Amino acid sequence: MLSFVRRHREPLLVCILLAHALGMFLGSSRRVREPNVIDRLALAMTAPVQRAAVASIDGMVNAWQQYVSLRSVRREVGQLQTENAQLRADVVGLAEARAENERLRRLIHYEEGNPGPKVVARVLGINPDPNRLTLRIDRGEGDGVRRGQAVVTADGVVGQVLRATASAADVLVAFDPNCRLGGRVQRTRARVGVSGAGEDQALKLEYLLRSEDLEEGDLVVTSGTDGVYPPGLVVGRVTGVQRQTSGMFLNAGILPAVNFTRVEEVVVLAPQPAASVPTRVDSQGRR
Amino acid sequence: MKLLVTLVLTLLFLALESVAAKYVGLGVARIDVTVAIVAFLSLRAGLLEGAVAAYAIGYLLDLMTGRPTGLYTLLALITFLLGRVAASLMDVRSGRSFALFAMAADVTHGLLAWGISGVSNNQMAVSSLSGLPLEVLLTGVVALLLYPLLRRFGLGAEKRDPGLLVR
Repeated sequence: MLSFVRRHREPLLVCILLAHALGMFLGSSRRVREPNVIDRLALAMTAPVQRAAVASIDGMVNAWQQYVSLRSVRREVGQLQTENAQLRADVVGLAEARAENERLRRLIHYEEGNPGPKVVARVLGINPDPNRLTLRIDRGEGDGVRRGQAVVTADGVVGQVLRATASAADVLVAFDPNCRLGGRVQRTRARVGVSGAGEDQALKLEYLLRSEDLEEGDLVVTSGTDGVYPPGLVVGRVTGVQRQTSGMFLNAGILPAVNFTRVEEVVVLAPQPAASVPTRVDSQGRR
Repeated sequence: MKLLVTLVLTLLFLALESVAAKYVGLGVARIDVTVAIVAFLSLRAGLLEGAVAAYAIGYLLDLMTGRPTGLYTLLALITFLLGRVAASLMDVRSGRSFALFAMAADVTHGLLAWGISGVSNNQMAVSSLSGLPLEVLLTGVVALLLYPLLRRFGLGAEKRDPGLLVR
């Protein structure tokens, strides 16, 4: 018997294990087994592994999600940058449209305050000839623009049409040395001559007697006596008044009301009636 | 010592399997890592050493189920013994053949689990076997991956005794 057990020790032990397992299974159907020391030890060993695995996987998942979200954020940033550039361009365009709208509104107000035939034109460019300070506008003879017509903006005098072609015209700006116009000091009603200084976009005030009252900042308007500009258009403000000790006339400059470099739309006025052309009147009132 | 390594590895794989199941969501089909290890033991380990290891592995699997009934302990032992019988009829040397062997062991294990628990509960629903094919497939894949590792750890690497159940 003992030799049989010795000889078949391993199969017998396996059978015991099998029987024990079967007994454990059959026994467990009647009651739930409480965890013993081995159970607790095994569970205690698995918990840290599970915790570490979960932490590792969570870490990798989080890293991946952050990487993915970072990629999407980068893509989104790119889209937003494109959109931002587009919006900025739109804003610039809108600002431009608003400025144009403002200018046109002022021209409309000018139109309402100065009825009569006129042509609204857009400035195409500044002619490169340094001897002729002219602007080119997009209206010409086809639109009724003729040589000699006055060109103004809502701010004041710009110049007069030097020549016109079918679809465009050149405007001699008021500060060109070849430009002359009749003016009047608004405060004193003294009649003066205005000519272009030719530089710094300035005008010269001429033919005002030294004895006349003239102050810095006096507003000079057109007198309507030159046959080109209607009376009352703003020319500019008096600046740099110099009263010489000799000579008949004082020297002064005029700061133009119009900034010629920023003119974009102008109004070409119809030729003035002949009556407004300055005429000599004798002491009997005869022309 | 090798028994201890086997148990530590089993515990590690069981812990990882439970974590993987949490993330992958293997609610129906699970990966029978323990079956793969038992299959390996049936190929390489001696009778007593393998039986003790299989018993311990089954015990741990039982423990991990949350409500230990002893079913998996019994099944691990039976699978081990049936594996030994099968191993005497075939030659399993490569990873692929081991994967197939483990899959066959898993089919046996799954059917036995279904049958025994069905008999004990008087519920033999065939629908509960619906996850078995995927389970077997996953076990085969895991067995293929584990094969080099189990060989490296030398589980059951000592010279096998020539007998089947007897010495």
